[in-house]
Amino acid sequence: MNYVNGRQATSLGETNDLGKPWRYKDGDLTVTRSCPWSPPGCHPVGCGLKLYVDKEGTLVKVEGDENQPITGGRLCVRCITLKDYVYNPSRIIHPQKRDPQFRGQADKWEQITWDEAFDLMVSEVTKVKEKYGPESIVLFTGTGREGGTMKPMGAAVFGTPNYCYTQSGYACYAPRLAGTSYVMGAPDPEIDYAAAFKNRYDEEGYVLSECVILWGKDPLPSNPDGLFGHALIDMMKRGTRLITVDPRLTWLATKADYALRLRPGTDTALAMAMLHVIISEDLYDHDFIEYWTYGFEELAERVATMPPEKAAEITGVPVEDIYGAARMYARAAPAGIAWGLAVDQNPNGSQLGHCILDLMAVTGNIDVPGGQIIGGAGEGQQETGFGWSAMPTETADKMIGLKEFPAYCNAILDAHADMVLETLETEKPYPLRFGYYAGNNLLAATCAAQPKRWHDAMLKSLDYCVTLDCFMTPSAQATCDLFLPLAASPEREGTVANHYGATPTFLGITNKAIDFGEGKSDTEFCYELGKRLNPKVWSKYEDVYAYIKALRFGNKKDFATARKEVGWQREIEYHKFETGKCRQDGKLGFNTPTGRFEFYSTLFQSFGDDPLPYYLEPPYSPQKTPELLEKYPLVLTTGARTYAFFHSENRQIPFCRELNPDPLVEINPALAHRLGIADGQWVRIWNQFGSCKMKAKLTIAVDERTLMAQHGWWFPEADPDKTNPEGEYNVWLANINELVPHFHVGKMGWGAPFKCLLANIEPLNENYDTDMQEIWEKFGKLVR
Amino acid sequence: MTVYGLLVDYEWCTGCQSCEVSCKEEHGYPVGKWGIRVLEDGPWEIDDTQANWNKIPVPSDLCDLCANRTAQGRQPICVHHCLADVLQYGPVEELVKRFEEKPKQALFVPQFKPKEARGAFVSKNRAAGKVASFAAVAVEANTDFDIAGHRRPDEEVEADMAVSVILTDSIKTRSEDE
Repeated sequence: MNYVNGRQATSLGETNDLGKPWRYKDGDLTVTRSCPWSPPGCHPVGCGLKLYVDKEGTLVKVEGDENQPITGGRLCVRCITLKDYVYNPSRIIHPQKRDPQFRGQADKWEQITWDEAFDLMVSEVTKVKEKYGPESIVLFTGTGREGGTMKPMGAAVFGTPNYCYTQSGYACYAPRLAGTSYVMGAPDPEIDYAAAFKNRYDEEGYVLSECVILWGKDPLPSNPDGLFGHALIDMMKRGTRLITVDPRLTWLATKADYALRLRPGTDTALAMAMLHVIISEDLYDHDFIEYWTYGFEELAERVATMPPEKAAEITGVPVEDIYGAARMYARAAPAGIAWGLAVDQNPNGSQLGHCILDLMAVTGNIDVPGGQIIGGAGEGQQETGFGWSAMPTETADKMIGLKEFPAYCNAILDAHADMVLETLETEKPYPLRFGYYAGNNLLAATCAAQPKRWHDAMLKSLDYCVTLDCFMTPSAQATCDLFLPLAASPEREGTVANHYGATPTFLGITNKAIDFGEGKSDTEFCYELGKRLNPKVWSKYEDVYAYIKALRFGNKKDFATARKEVGWQREIEYHKFETGKCRQDGKLGFNTPTGRFEFYSTLFQSFGDDPLPYYLEPPYSPQKTPELLEKYPLVLTTGARTYAFFHSENRQIPFCRELNPDPLVEINPALAHRLGIADGQWVRIWNQFGSCKMKAKLTIAVDERTLMAQHGWWFPEADPDKTNPEGEYNVWLANINELVPHFHVGKMGWGAPFKCLLANIEPLNENYDTDMQEIWEKFGKLVR
Repeated sequence: MTVYGLLVDYEWCTGCQSCEVSCKEEHGYPVGKWGIRVLEDGPWEIDDTQANWNKIPVPSDLCDLCANRTAQGRQPICVHHCLADVLQYGPVEELVKRFEEKPKQALFVPQFKPKEARGAFVSKNRAAGKVASFAAVAVEANTDFDIAGHRRPDEEVEADMAVSVILTDSIKTRSEDE
């Protein structure tokens, strides 16, 4: 069979657009090829799009671009509906302001010009800086939007060290990146789906993974971290076999050789036991361990304390499956592990991440074809530090959490999320007075634990708060005083590196196809505000392209050239540690203190944590807190992904919403029967921290002791005003993060129990079903 | 080897579920397990005058196309009992010809217990000795290791980033033959 860009050649047909330039004519329409990213927010894959624009300049059609080497024209619903996002009647396309005394009052906004908006920004920032110092400015960053990668916005524009991803314990991706940096000196070990090669899976020198473990990762709906999820299907069609580690019976789990359905949050016990099987049965790679690793004996001794029999008791996974899966993974050559968010959403996650890296290392799967690909020296997190030196050291040292959690704050140059909330509440060690949302809707059960606490603290502490967004969110409605319009991806220029640039195999160019409204991109706004607030630093860029060139291309390429290429693959090298390409000093080995992959982590040790992995029960669990079981007898896991939504986005897109109209909690049919809950019935879910309402979906995807609740819910069709008893846009109605506690993080500051809690559930008489006709009436009639 | 399948004329499937129940009786499948299921799309309105409502029998991963019956020359039990007479069993080669007779048909080639059919995992590469090997070299410690290496002037950061922006290969589109 012939393949084009990863898919069957026959899927494209005789008439296709292979080989077309970045912009071309198709009849009366102008087509712009683009790799769009943000907004709508998503993981950065760099999927290819063809944007069809008519003579009036209106985007009339969106199709997948078959030239994209990884996706080959395939698209998910969130970009197929891009037109419905851009021209959505609820889109905000002009700046607007509101007097801070009217926060939460939806009718008090007034439209202003960008000039007025910039003047307001400058005067409010200057006022706060003069009175409280630059550190009293805090940025609330979210995920999947360019704003969350616009690090210079903190240090180089506002001059504050308090750039803060607001999720407790930074429970998303960064714990994995940081752990990998400590243990092997590279940012992220991605599975090898041949994304770097022109001929993809048929490239000479590539070897198909015989086995992939999906560890706490369901890659199909969300393309997590920029891994094109359906590449797994491409691989499985060619013969890759699967092991899944997931409490849920996902669709992929039903296709796996081993579906290890563990109790949520007990992953580290399972990983230690698998290591023990591989080591004790001599299934490990002797040469790799002897010459390229450090601390193997100590690791062997440590994991011997977690035999599979003990792990089976803790995790609930049958002991023979632990043995079977460990043997299968170790014998496969090569094999990969795709690790997911479950590693981060667990206070024991740093240890879990360490174990998973150890599994890759003991089996000799690091930096080999079909194993794990890693970036070389000088790759990965550099953009994190961009602009940092523009800030005086004494200001930088005031970053919230720097002293308490250096492993966290230094690795990602982010203020510690939990400590920022406490600082907002207590004004200690200093007050936070000015807030800026960098692509965040934190009140809507996305990236904050205890969102009501954040809500109250922000209202109390912040004199002024600003957002740059496409839609009015409940977070902005409740807390912001200035709303700035953000350009949607077809309205802006930019870049997108897959895998968040940590282990990139593709760099895509976001090309502008249309003008609509007054939106600015995060990059543009950063540059223009920088010129006004910190001209000394920003005058070196003559225009925004010069800034993009420096930030994204290391000054080696012009955007004018790049846009025509639309994107390019990055050929990768394997076995780089054997050629000196993994270390800053050019010597052989890995970029760690010992120069080796560290089973015994000298950096974990230097941060005050155990250098070896250990198992910790989740803070609230049947084994850790049995006394709570009478009140909260069920294990709650949250946040399983859907095709319809990226976190809190896409709820106002009718064709997305129609796929998942209501917030769902999955419950086992037997448990539901015992509790008198019918399929589709609304229920209340609660625990010692909070409560919310959702709609029951009866399914054996969860077992009888576990609930899985969706996250990210708000209701753009609902009353936007604070007088709404359920909050702005019903933000408190189905807010599962209200049940997630504050500040239960790991020793180094990473990880929080978003996926492993206790809760109870009861049926409700009320019905809160979404009326899809109402959604269609409100959001289906596009404004162009 | 001849491949056999099940042809469904879903224009006329009424959703009587005789296929489902006769299959259970034939195979002894209990409540909760099925060899075939009738999936349903509808009713929803196409316009004021017509509605969409299709019922489509789909064989499950427990369908063996009634291997015991067909070995004796009998039809699968679902075919035998189908009230609307919309199921046909036979060699795929012959069934596909019937697609030209009328619209609203689907052809299924089921796989009985795919996990068992696949068999237990055996590493072909390991059996063939195709396993990554690693050099035997003494690695030196990293003397000037710096955990906060990214807290540097932008010029240095830019220089490093240039490494990660590989400028060589723009997408070169390939012909289908390549």
